[in-house]
Amino acid sequence: MEDFWYEFVEITQSISDGLLFGSTYALIGIGFTLIFGTMHKLNMAFAAASIAGAYVGLAVLSFFDAPAIVVFLVSALASGAIGYVVYFACFRFIPVDNPLAALMTTVGALFFIDEIIIHVTNASPLNYPALFDDVYIDIPPYFFRGDLLFVFVVGLLSMVVLLFVLYRTRLGLATRAVSQQNVAAQLCGIDVHKTNALTFVVAGVLGGVAGGMTAASVGVLSPLMTLPLTIKGLIVTVIGGLGSIPGAIVAGLLVGALENLFLYVRGVNERDMYVLLLLFVFLVFRPNGIFGKSAHRD
Amino acid sequence: MDFYFGLAQTIGIHTLLGLSAYVLMLTGQLSLAQAGFFAIGAYTAGIFTVLFQWTILPALISGALIAGFFAFLIGFPALRVRGLMLVVATIAFSEFVRLFFFNLHWRETIDNLEVGPDSTQGFREIRFFSANGWETWEVSLFVWFFVIAVMAGLWWMDRSRAGAVLRAVGEDELAAQSVGLNLTAVKVAAMTVGGVIAGIGGGLYAHTVTYIDHLTFTVLLATFAIAYPILGGLSSVFGTLAAVIFIQGILIEGLRFLGDWRNILFGLLIIVVMNLKPSGIFDARTALMLKRMFAGKRGKPGDA
Repeated sequence: MEDFWYEFVEITQSISDGLLFGSTYALIGIGFTLIFGTMHKLNMAFAAASIAGAYVGLAVLSFFDAPAIVVFLVSALASGAIGYVVYFACFRFIPVDNPLAALMTTVGALFFIDEIIIHVTNASPLNYPALFDDVYIDIPPYFFRGDLLFVFVVGLLSMVVLLFVLYRTRLGLATRAVSQQNVAAQLCGIDVHKTNALTFVVAGVLGGVAGGMTAASVGVLSPLMTLPLTIKGLIVTVIGGLGSIPGAIVAGLLVGALENLFLYVRGVNERDMYVLLLLFVFLVFRPNGIFGKSAHRD
Repeated sequence: MDFYFGLAQTIGIHTLLGLSAYVLMLTGQLSLAQAGFFAIGAYTAGIFTVLFQWTILPALISGALIAGFFAFLIGFPALRVRGLMLVVATIAFSEFVRLFFFNLHWRETIDNLEVGPDSTQGFREIRFFSANGWETWEVSLFVWFFVIAVMAGLWWMDRSRAGAVLRAVGEDELAAQSVGLNLTAVKVAAMTVGGVIAGIGGGLYAHTVTYIDHLTFTVLLATFAIAYPILGGLSSVFGTLAAVIFIQGILIEGLRFLGDWRNILFGLLIIVVMNLKPSGIFDARTALMLKRMFAGKRGKPGDA
């Protein structure tokens, strides 16, 4: 009985830690889904841009000793700016009906951003300062790390801000109009290119926050983080349903929780295999994701 | 001289990789699972020659068939989704295979030497060629034998009914379906053939480099696999070969003097090229232009 109770506490503890960390995956997934929703294209460079934003934040931190909130703001803005550049380099001049060409350009951008980071940092990982390592909430038998709670709160705040922007501002109205019917939106006088570019900036800002959050909770920043984060983001997007924001949030938390559970049960080397299997389970039984419409198949 | 033979091996193996993506692209599907099939071929062929002491040919063929079998299996769930969803599904497959081999530990002592895949340490000592005294040029010839066989096979297939069926599905699925083609069967068949070709390439790769580890088979390799046919266009298998020679021979080997700036340039180059020619360097228009150029030369009266 004692053993069982111990196991139970350990498992629920790792699931709840995973849920808290899952908010970063949710943000990355929202970024992918936002861009897919408006343009029906994948932006493979998105997670790389987020990590690059976190690097800029780290640079500010090391030069000015800025408070955490400033670091996150700088990361978010830098990543938003990179998103704007990526839009112009990879989407603006690619034909609308050619999603594969945009896929290739963004993969190119992914390598480009990765290699720039490697070049600047001499390929060595950098330490990211722990933000709240002395803060924690202790509710026996559970124990919540302060940095994970902070990550979760920041993630939730960003989602609230995003939903406000999408549903309460003119930009959000334009974004939703373009994602529903871009020709009709254009006929109504909405500048599609400007709206798309701004959507990239909004997604980039979210990504920058997520990049900073990932770095803060892992404690280290390395160019090797971009590919795994890209793949996790894509998994979250597909499980949640392409183009669905609530889907991305739920799937992000789900993937975070299950990933930590697998980490506890099977160890760090096998963890990601089970997350990928989860994706295949969804592809077989629910290919449109949790909240996806069947019209969103492609 | 050995350097050029080595380069020829690399070009040959990457041509196989590109052709495996080419087959599926004829049906209009873009798959990043090629890195996974390549890894399966590399590891299984290596295991057959190193742990089971087979000779190279049955090991290569078994590796290719196993890769093809997995391509067949993965075809059904993956091809339920199309376009960008398929890209994500196949990335996930490649990553899964990579992580599987990352965790695979199968060591046995053969001739007083412990060999086999050693999970995170990679799979060393795949020494079939050097143990049997093959020269580099012989290995190159061996590799190119497979490349030419596969290219000839695909070239012939393109001119047969099978090629027409694949292209019909690629052009317009609805129209293909309405003339009685079974879309799933066609796509899964293309996926399987692609898997077999990638498996051969992987087996050859493992034996030419003698050391493989999971880091070789990342999304980067899968991107290379689709980049060749995209750059080379889908009009014929030679486009893929030209793209491989261009990327591996000129960009990667030729720009070696740039040091790590080369990698930065590589990403930038993809962006620039795709912006200038979104449907590939050797797209239909360029192919037509080239054809006219050559036809014009040949067709001129008075030419010998």
